[in-house]
Amino acid sequence: MSEKRLLKRSNRYESLLRTWTELAALSAERVLRQAEAKADAEERRIRRDLAERNFAALDRDTVYQTLLSERTERENRQYLDLRLEALKAGRALTEEEAAALDASHARRLAELPEELDRLLADLPAPTMDPAEAKRNADAAEAEIRQMREALRAKAERDAEAARQKYDKRIAAAQAKLEAVEQKLAAERSAPAGELAEGLTLGVTDLKMYFGGVKAVDGLSFEVREGEIFGLIGPNGAGKTTVFNCITQFYKPTAGTLLFRTREGKVLDLTREKVHDVILHGIVRTFQNVEVVREMTVLENLLVAGSRQFTTGLFGSALHLRKLKLEEQVVRARAEKVLDFMGLSLYKDYLAFGLPYGILKKIEIARTLMCSPRLIILDEPAAGLNDTETAELSGLIRRIRDEYNCTILLVEHDMGLVMEVCDHICAISFGQLLAYGTPAEIQANKEVQQAYLGVDEEEAE
Amino acid sequence: MDIKQAYLDAAFPREGPKKRRGPSLAARAARQPNLQVVVICAILALMQILAMNGMVFSSPFITALGSTLIYSIVSIGFCLLLGYSGLASLGTAGFIGLGAYSAYYVVEGLGAPYILALLVTLAVSIVIGVSVGFISLRIEGIYLAIMTLGLAEIIRNLLMAIKPTIKIDLNSVRLFGVGVNDKAVFLLIVLTFAVLMVLTGNLIRSPVGRSMLAMKNSTSAAQAMGVSLMKYRLLAFVITTIYASIGGLLYMMYIRNVTTATSTLLTLTTSLNILGAVIIGGSKSLWGTTVGAFIIYGLQSMFLSKLEFFKNNPAFITMVTGLLIILVVMFYPGGIAQMVSNLRLWLRRRRYERRLRDYV
Repeated sequence: MSEKRLLKRSNRYESLLRTWTELAALSAERVLRQAEAKADAEERRIRRDLAERNFAALDRDTVYQTLLSERTERENRQYLDLRLEALKAGRALTEEEAAALDASHARRLAELPEELDRLLADLPAPTMDPAEAKRNADAAEAEIRQMREALRAKAERDAEAARQKYDKRIAAAQAKLEAVEQKLAAERSAPAGELAEGLTLGVTDLKMYFGGVKAVDGLSFEVREGEIFGLIGPNGAGKTTVFNCITQFYKPTAGTLLFRTREGKVLDLTREKVHDVILHGIVRTFQNVEVVREMTVLENLLVAGSRQFTTGLFGSALHLRKLKLEEQVVRARAEKVLDFMGLSLYKDYLAFGLPYGILKKIEIARTLMCSPRLIILDEPAAGLNDTETAELSGLIRRIRDEYNCTILLVEHDMGLVMEVCDHICAISFGQLLAYGTPAEIQANKEVQQAYLGVDEEEAE
Repeated sequence: MDIKQAYLDAAFPREGPKKRRGPSLAARAARQPNLQVVVICAILALMQILAMNGMVFSSPFITALGSTLIYSIVSIGFCLLLGYSGLASLGTAGFIGLGAYSAYYVVEGLGAPYILALLVTLAVSIVIGVSVGFISLRIEGIYLAIMTLGLAEIIRNLLMAIKPTIKIDLNSVRLFGVGVNDKAVFLLIVLTFAVLMVLTGNLIRSPVGRSMLAMKNSTSAAQAMGVSLMKYRLLAFVITTIYASIGGLLYMMYIRNVTTATSTLLTLTTSLNILGAVIIGGSKSLWGTTVGAFIIYGLQSMFLSKLEFFKNNPAFITMVTGLLIILVVMFYPGGIAQMVSNLRLWLRRRRYERRLRDYV
C-alpha cells in the first residue's frame, strides 16, 4: 500500500479513536451530571420538609428576604425573556416600546416590597423552641450527607460502566491505528528536510510570483513552538500571500515550507493539498470574514469539525448510529468552544446579520474545532473597536495557553502586535526587513522607514 | 397556611428551576422530517388506492400526479446541486434522457429485467456526473450552466440520431420477476420518491450537507476547514445526474414513450422548468422544491388543463407558470419555503406583541 493511502487510514483511525475516547468521557460526564441533579432534587426535598417542620421558628425577616429575592429573580427572568424573544422573533423593539418595557419592569420591582409587606402583615412571631429547630436541622443534614454519599458511590460506578462501554471500541481503534502506524513506519519516506528542535514552522527562501509581480521574494523566517508570532509590513508587502502559501491556497513558485506535526515528523507543506492541511492542525481565519452566512453559529463550527467524521457518504445518507455518535462528540466540542469564546448566547442564530465583531469571533472559534497546532490569524483586529481589540489580545493569549498551540498573525494594529507577540517579522515588498522581539522591531530604523514611506505615499 | 406555602415554594421550588413545558408528542412527531415523508407518501399511495376503486380521484388526475412526482424526484436532486452546492446546471433534460434511453435499450433491446436498467443508468450517470463535476472545478457560475446546456444538447441530438422515438410495452416490463401495471408503477414512483426524500434529507442534515453549504457560501473558507472542493462538487453532480436519470427511468415506465421530435422532455424547456421548480419552491428546502415541482407541472396537468379556457388555448398555461415564477422571484426570492418561514415568524411576532402588551 502506498504511503498516501496508509496516511489516510491512519487519519481515519485517529479520528475514530478520538471520537470514542471523547464519547466515553462524555457519557461518563452525563451520568455524573444526572446523578448530581438527582441528588440536588433530593436535597431540596429534604430541606423543604425541614423548613415545613421548622417554619414556626423562622423570623419575619428571613421569610421576607427569601420571598423578595425569589420574586425579583422571577421578574428579571421574565424581563430578560421578553428582550431575547424580541430578537428571536426578528422584531427590533422601538425606542418607546423598550422604554415602556424598562419602566414596567422597574415599576414591578418597586411594587414588590409593598406587596410582601401586605402578605406578611399577619405573620405571627416565632413560636418554636430554637433547640428543637436545631435538632431537626441536624437530623436533616445527616440525612442529606448520607443520601449524597450513597448516590455518589452509585453514580461513580455507573459512570465507570458507561465509560467501559466504549473500551472495546477504543481498543479496536487503537490496535488498528498501531498496525497502520507500523506499516507506515516501514513505508515512510525520508523526512522532507531539517527543522531545528523547538520550531513549528520553517519558511526558507519562499518565492511567490504572479506573472511578473513578485509578491513574496525570497522570504525566510522561523516560528517557534508555542509562541505568538507576528508578521507585519506595509500594505501590499505580501503578508497575506505568505499565509496563503503556508495554507496551500497558493502553490509557492519556489522555497520550502517545513512544518513539525503532532507526532514530531517534519512535513513539507507544499506537498499537501489545501483541504488537508487542517488534518495537521493548521487552521486559519480570513482578512474579510468568511463565515457561512446561511448557517447558524453552531453549524459553522460543525463544518470545521467535519474531518473528524469517519462515516462515509452512504452512512450519512442512512444516518447510521455511528454518525449520530460522532455528531454528538463534535457538537459537544463545538459547544465547549462556543463557551470558551463567550458565544453560547448566539449559537442558534443564523450567522447572517450578526455584528462584525461576532463574525470575527466565529472565525476564530472555528479554528479551535480540530485540535489546532498552528493558528493563522489574518488581521484579527481589522474592523473591531478599541474595547474589542483589547479583548482580542487577551483572547489570543488564552487560546495559546488553553489549546497549547502556536499562533501566527498578520495585523496592522501595532498596539496589539507589540502587546501579544513574542517575535515579529517585518517584511516589505515580499522581502525580510527585520526579525526580532517587539522592542527590537520598534527600535529598527528600516521598519520605521518602510512604514513612514507608505504613509507619505498615502498622504499624496 | 398561605404564607408558609409561598415561603416554601420560593425557597425550595418543588421541581427545581421551572422547566419549560416541552412540545406535545404530536408536535414533536410533526417535526421528525423522515416521518413527514412517510406520512405524505402514505397519503399519496392512499389516493391511488381510492382512485383504483373509482372513488374521489379520477385516474387522469392520478396519472398527472405520478408524472409530477417524477419531476419532483428530479427536482430534489437539483436542489442539492443548486441550493446546497451553489452550482448551476442546465443539463437536467439530457440526464433524464439518458435514463429513459437506457431503460428502453435494456428492456426492449435486451429483454432484461428493469433492475438491470437501473444499474446501467446508475453507471452511466456516475460517469457523466463525474465528468461534469471535473469541469465544474475549472469553470463556474453562468459559464458552467452554458457548458451543461451544451452537453444536454449533445446528448439530445445523439439520442435523436440513434432513435427518434422510443416506446416501451408495459407487458415486457418485469420487476423482480413479476409483471406490473399502471397502478403498481404509480406506487413504485411514490416509493422511490419517499426513499430519495429520506436519503436526501439525511444527507443534507449530515456533515456532507454542511460541507456542501459551506462550499456554496465561501470556497476558501470551506477549503480551509478541510472540505475538498473536488470531492463535493463531483458528488453534487453525480447525485443530481443519478436523480435525473432515475426520473427518466420512471418516466419510461409510466408514460412509456418519448418522441424526440414532438416531446419537450429532452429539450431546454425541461431543464428550465426544473430550475424554476427549485427556485419557486426555495432552493434549500426539499419540501419547498417538491411544492415547486407541483406548481410548475402539477398545476397545469392536474387543474389548469381541465378548465375550458386553457383547453382551447394551451399556450396560456405556460404563461401562467411564467407569471408565477416572476411573482415569486419578485416578492419571495427564497421561494415558497421562505413564505412558510415568514408566516411562522409573523405568527411568533404577533404572539410576542400580545405578550409585550400584557406585560406593559
